[in-house]
Amino acid sequence: MGSGFFSLRATSEVACPQWGGRNTEGHTLATVHEPPRTRRPAAPAPARPRRSPAPLVLALVWAGAAAVLALWWQDTPSVVSQADWLTDGGRIAGLLSGYACAVLVALMARVPALERGVGSDRVARWHAMAGRWTVCLLVAHVVLIVWGYAVQGHSSVWEETVSIVFDYPDMLKATFGTLILFTVGIVSARAVRRRVRHETWYYLHLLTYAALFLAFFHQLSLGSEFVGNRLAQAAWYALYLGVAALVLWFRVLAPVRLNLRHRLRVAAVIPEAPGVFSVVVHGRRLGELAAESGQFLRWRFLAPGLCWTSSPYSLSAAPRPDALRITVKALGGHSAAVATLRPGTRVWAEGPYGALTAGRRSRAKVLLLAGGVGITPLRALFESLPAAPGDLTLLYRARTAQDLALRTELETIAAARGARLFYAVNGPDGARVPITAAGLRDVLPDVAAHDVYLCGPSGMAEAAYDALIAAGVPARHIHHESFEL
Amino acid sequence: MNPFRTRPLRRVLIGTVATVSGVSALLALKPHTQTTVTPQAAAQPATPSATPGTAEPSSSASASASASASPGAAAVTKKITGDAIQTRYGPVQVQITLTGGKLTAVDVLQVPEDNPKDQQINDYAVPVLKQEALTAQSASVDSVSGATYTSDGYIRSLQSALDKSGN
Repeated sequence: MGSGFFSLRATSEVACPQWGGRNTEGHTLATVHEPPRTRRPAAPAPARPRRSPAPLVLALVWAGAAAVLALWWQDTPSVVSQADWLTDGGRIAGLLSGYACAVLVALMARVPALERGVGSDRVARWHAMAGRWTVCLLVAHVVLIVWGYAVQGHSSVWEETVSIVFDYPDMLKATFGTLILFTVGIVSARAVRRRVRHETWYYLHLLTYAALFLAFFHQLSLGSEFVGNRLAQAAWYALYLGVAALVLWFRVLAPVRLNLRHRLRVAAVIPEAPGVFSVVVHGRRLGELAAESGQFLRWRFLAPGLCWTSSPYSLSAAPRPDALRITVKALGGHSAAVATLRPGTRVWAEGPYGALTAGRRSRAKVLLLAGGVGITPLRALFESLPAAPGDLTLLYRARTAQDLALRTELETIAAARGARLFYAVNGPDGARVPITAAGLRDVLPDVAAHDVYLCGPSGMAEAAYDALIAAGVPARHIHHESFEL
Repeated sequence: MNPFRTRPLRRVLIGTVATVSGVSALLALKPHTQTTVTPQAAAQPATPSATPGTAEPSSSASASASASASPGAAAVTKKITGDAIQTRYGPVQVQITLTGGKLTAVDVLQVPEDNPKDQQINDYAVPVLKQEALTAQSASVDSVSGATYTSDGYIRSLQSALDKSGN
């Protein structure tokens, strides 16, 4: 019966993992450098976890939406005819989508309070959901306004459309902007996005900045809520200029400053397992980055072919004052190209981002549950998360024993810290061992008293989450990061 | 609730229903009869949509009474200019023609016409207002639906002209 998990206690006496690798064919250990012996991380005082700003952010966003609706309400004395219903419905839709567009841009402005506080993955999901809603609202706005004007002016919808686009002030710009937004919306739909190259999708998506700029002016010149209302106009300018300032600072200026200050370069590329490579990046004053285990950065390697894409990779070891390490699985064109990076290549990084950090735990006992490539952030946490001997457990699920990347290091850390390490691989017949509540309790009888960090592919994460809940772990003690949108 | 099991269809449904009912509720809660528009303060600054070409609104009445007597006819024709009423879209000012004490014409001196929407409103609202004023022989006419502000300005300018004429 057994849970299918087996544990390995390393017998090595090295106190701190070396950043070296060994592929499973038994080639020689390749060491980058001998890190100094460090003290074991002390047992923690289980402090109160950092409070997430998510509820506050959501409250602010909803309050803004209410203010926008209040603007419409106080501006509209009555809704009488059919034309009024249509036009006022169109105005509400327009106001809400104009507001929502500003919020969408703010969500993706890489504001640290959002990226590190709420969590990059969660913010991206909010953006995706709200983005779909906004595009639909925009469609409603266009349809209702054109139809309402046509009824009011006793003309046909087609005549009205032509008149609006060509005769009304700022409408030609706004039409272009709207078409761009519709295109972005279509390309971002799951069905289309899967078939489009990531770079194409990304650069198209960047056009939304242009679209919002083009559409902004018609809102003030034609929006009846803004005509004659200086306060509303000022507030609208403040909203858009404020969001633009956020983007300019956090997406443009702060990364420039970061890279000029730290001057990151590739130091070594180390094979870890078949198709898995570690990249060690050197830089100056990396302590000032304030990166934590569990976080990731967005990396742009300034090498031919790779410099067009920025990819998020988690730190696969605790950040050091002079070096950072990521571990990449070669899954596609870009990640495979990472393996061919030459030492000395300049690196443009942005970050650190991510909320899967030590700050979220509140219990003494911690379980790190990793699936496949999800081992990367958890390997870093395994090294540096403060925990007393016996309180920290890592459960690593992979398809085969060869796929267990960074295995030697994990065993070293486990030995040094007195942490427990379990592997779960498919059976000899290839059958997957499911993660179940019973299996978890077998391995960790007191799993319900643990804080759990969960990171892995969505199928595994979904099943693991169910198992954890069934095993009695309260939902607020399960911390996860998943980039599925 | 498993955060990895997203159920997008359910979210789409809830989102659509919530939005549609919310917007409908907002529209339905507003009164469905024409309400009088609160008068704009006389010191209201010109709206941004008013181009420099619009004449500075003058609230002083320029009553120009010109008596033109046609030979043999006892009727006296008077033209009286009403106040320029500031509406949020621009000033509205009418001039009435009284022949023998009867309202025979209402001409528009100023009306918002900066953008095609204003022009469109004027095209259908002004003739209706004029016709109703002539029929009613007073300023007690209904606002034209969809031209609330223009109608309000028109009616009040008309009323001020009638007041000045002593009718």
